[in-house]
Amino acid sequence: MRRVNRDQLTALAVLAPSLVLLAIFVYGFIARTAYTSLTDWGRDPSQALAANPVIRYIGFANYKDLFTGFLDARFRQDLVSALFFTVFFLAGCLLIGLLLALMLDRNPRGEGFFRTVFLFPMSLSFIVTGTIWAWMLQPSGGVNRLSPLVGLPAGQFEWLTSRTSIWQFDWNRLPLVTALVVAAVLVWVAVTAYREGARTRGHVAVACAALLALWALTGGVTVKLLPYPEPHGFNLAFVGIILAAVWQMAGYTMALYLAGLRGIPEELREAARVDGASERQVYTRVIFPLLAPITLSAMIILGHISLKIFDLVFAMAGPDNTQTDVPALLMYITAFRGNQFAKGAAIGVVLLVMVAAVIVPYLASTFRREART
Amino acid sequence: MAEVVLQNVYKRYGKVVAVKDFNLHIQDKEFMVFVGPSGCGKSTTLRMIAGLEEISDGTLRIGERVVNDVPPKDRDIAMVFQNYALYPHMNVYENMAFGLRLRKTPKAEIDKRVRDAARILQIEHLLARKPKELSGGQRQRVALGRAIVREPKVFLMDEPLSNLDAKLRVEMRSQISQLHRRLATTVIYVTHDQVEAMTMGSRIVVMRDGIIQQVDTPLNLYDYPRTKFVAGFIGSPSMNFLTATVKNGQFAIGDSLIAADGTLAESLRAYEGKQVWMGIRPEHVGVHGLSMESRGGDVMRGQIVDVEPLGAQTDLIVDVGGQVLTAKVEGHARFKAGDAVDLVVARDRLHAFDYQTEDALGRRGVAADTAAISADD
Amino acid sequence: MTTLPTTTAPSAARPRRLDFTRALLYLGLLVATLFFLLPVYLLVVTALKDPSVISLDTTWQLPPAWHWSSFADAWAKVSGGLRNSLELTLLATAISAVMGSLNGYVLSKYSFRGANLLFALMLFGMFIPYQSVLIPLFQFVKSIGLYGTIWGLVLTHVVYGLPITTLIFRNYYGEVPDALVEAARIDGAGFWGIYSRIIFPLSVPGFVVVIIWQFTQAWNEFLFGVTLTNPASQPITVALAQLAGGQAVSWNLPMAGAILTAIPTLLVYVLLGRYFVRGLLAGSVKG
Repeated sequence: MRRVNRDQLTALAVLAPSLVLLAIFVYGFIARTAYTSLTDWGRDPSQALAANPVIRYIGFANYKDLFTGFLDARFRQDLVSALFFTVFFLAGCLLIGLLLALMLDRNPRGEGFFRTVFLFPMSLSFIVTGTIWAWMLQPSGGVNRLSPLVGLPAGQFEWLTSRTSIWQFDWNRLPLVTALVVAAVLVWVAVTAYREGARTRGHVAVACAALLALWALTGGVTVKLLPYPEPHGFNLAFVGIILAAVWQMAGYTMALYLAGLRGIPEELREAARVDGASERQVYTRVIFPLLAPITLSAMIILGHISLKIFDLVFAMAGPDNTQTDVPALLMYITAFRGNQFAKGAAIGVVLLVMVAAVIVPYLASTFRREART
Repeated sequence: MAEVVLQNVYKRYGKVVAVKDFNLHIQDKEFMVFVGPSGCGKSTTLRMIAGLEEISDGTLRIGERVVNDVPPKDRDIAMVFQNYALYPHMNVYENMAFGLRLRKTPKAEIDKRVRDAARILQIEHLLARKPKELSGGQRQRVALGRAIVREPKVFLMDEPLSNLDAKLRVEMRSQISQLHRRLATTVIYVTHDQVEAMTMGSRIVVMRDGIIQQVDTPLNLYDYPRTKFVAGFIGSPSMNFLTATVKNGQFAIGDSLIAADGTLAESLRAYEGKQVWMGIRPEHVGVHGLSMESRGGDVMRGQIVDVEPLGAQTDLIVDVGGQVLTAKVEGHARFKAGDAVDLVVARDRLHAFDYQTEDALGRRGVAADTAAISADD
Repeated sequence: MTTLPTTTAPSAARPRRLDFTRALLYLGLLVATLFFLLPVYLLVVTALKDPSVISLDTTWQLPPAWHWSSFADAWAKVSGGLRNSLELTLLATAISAVMGSLNGYVLSKYSFRGANLLFALMLFGMFIPYQSVLIPLFQFVKSIGLYGTIWGLVLTHVVYGLPITTLIFRNYYGEVPDALVEAARIDGAGFWGIYSRIIFPLSVPGFVVVIIWQFTQAWNEFLFGVTLTNPASQPITVALAQLAGGQAVSWNLPMAGAILTAIPTLLVYVLLGRYFVRGLLAGSVKG
């Protein structure tokens, strides 16, 4: 039997308030939101703001509406937008962040100044950034008027007011596309499993991939979520928002990479040079592989930020611009402007699921690693 | 009176047993050293005595009191940590006074004790400094001082010298020994360094895998190791172990026959025709014609593999019928690798160990008198 | 004599090649600096222009005359929010820093079975999209009568700030050797004695990191601010969004407002940037 002494009891008592608060504010509220999303709260406008509204359980109807309902095409476009936004935002931050870090790692004069400049947007509110960049991206001003300063014709890109959508695909193809993407990932899993010698895992992955592909080629082609084609694509109005987001967050990636670069002992580079690596090979063979874990954490941190992006879009394009809408913003509008609380809750749950898919494996692996050491 | 008595003490972490059936009676004013390789349970045992680890099973007595459930601060002990654990935000004086202040000792008394300890340790000029402004040796003294001012019944020291460089370590070794004589308090000292154990301990506990191998005075451990592990752990360079077959009551190694004497020869008879470990310390192996003749040992022929000149002595690494052993020769020796040599082993210094149990055979395993003390009374 | 050119050639070529890469490096840094500072230039220049001279064609030109009154006008619109933000940010920061410090102390020095899982569950709260708790949060704050006051926001910021403050302190105290705590236990200190005499005095850098981080987060936050307050209790970010969102307003006002909003966090960043970066890196968990 383990005897618990007084100090340990005190310690638990000290921790308890935080645990209770977080249990309520995180898990309790999530549960409550999940429940709300299964009700009809707000479907009847007269009941939405009543003191004691009549709320009925209606199962997954709200989710069904969101993904297949005629009126909720905006939500589906928002999902697509959030994914495109995430991809380009990540690519931009990682690329620029790495470049900046590599430059600063060469110990230029005034390194401190440059670091301060590259990082200062991190200290600003997204609202401030959005306000500035909304002005920067006026269709016939700001960025578009930069080229005349060096004698070139003015830019013509419409930025935030653009209504063009590219890379469109039919929402009905979503199950098919999803199945193929998952199958591709499974194939990749199988390949790495075989390479590591985990044959069973490889076999399972291959079998699942084959099943998915088979379904995609037979049933998947004919599945229809909607009775009519519904195109969704990448709205070019997001380009400017991505630019502003990268402006704000690239410094963060730089700081991560720079910390990583500084953490690589000089001896390792020297050893590589003695082993006959060229300066370029020192980077490609030694430094970049060592930075891979940092890239992964950066992707996860930035990825979850971008899925949650809200304030920046609000400040740059306003809450009512359907071209530049994202799920986080739509949730706010649906629940707090439209009083459609149940549907807003459902959007919140979808957001949570997307973010959790990124964050939970990350937390799990971090703590498993820690437990091992 | 501050004896420390451990009876059937166990430490378990889940299924892992870190310390197993530990029985030890530490006398008042004794300097007891726990020694063993890392992970042998010596630090865990010390931390159980300190109260920093719970005792899974068994009883621990300090003085007249069973202290299993007494918190560390009420055990009347003081501890010196491996990395000193000096409070970085307090100066030396405050570090030393901290424990007394928490005990509400009168100010004047604190001041007196701190200054006395500082004088003994020659750190009076450092009292106003912060730990980070001190050298390793100075920090070590402050850590000692912090323990001394408490005037505890028992000092616990957990590898206190392992962070010092070799020269300072030798110096502090003798200072701690002197301090022990001067304070006349029980000390329990943990180290992985057998030289520290041999030079400082009044008695030594050799541990391995959580089990006590032998408890004895330093010289008895050297002369009468009870197991092959103890024999190999105490002494530097390490004892040579050769696989031998017993033939006519003698060790047969290759073509050579080596006779034992006294009780060892008697006990070998029971092993006739079987394999045993023959043990002999490098300092008890000589080169034929140079030394050891007078001890009347038998001769083995071998070939020198390597020569390690150390100035005062020379270590010869010699291949004898495929087994390698070290011989320690006085002064400079004019040998080189590849030379053939005849080695003499001192007959009265031979050890033998059972091939399976690795327990010592014959009288070499029985320490003359003190071994009996270690048993429970 | 004839050998001279051949011997000097390689050694001369080397520095020249180095100079070239060096020049490229500084060119890259210059371009990056322009990318990061051009918006700031535009921000300041626009804020200092008279509304009548602001036009899209002359966006990048310096103002013909310095026009400071935009700041006074913007101040009139955001000063209420600024005061709210200041109060709620300081309160929320102080409370969550102290709680985080105690939590970190418990989790790093009094760890118990399941502590890691519990901590991971706490941390998850820092990553969730707050939209997934917004409706119950709104109802809860309203039901306890804190809607439309800064206290509802303070409570919210404290709770959702706990994961990161706990994380930073837990990692920070992880660096404090356990032997120090053990030495203090042997010296006679208990839970609170060790905290107040050993851990807390060693925590100053940890507190600086946490306070800066929480201050910046709470100051810059928008979603809770826009949901849980009314015009009287709204924080400065909400006030700024309203100032900028009104389409009729000319651009000098929002720019001046943006500067006013940015100054406190910018000041903290410039003065204590080192600690700011540490908080930034701590956010990427690392156990």
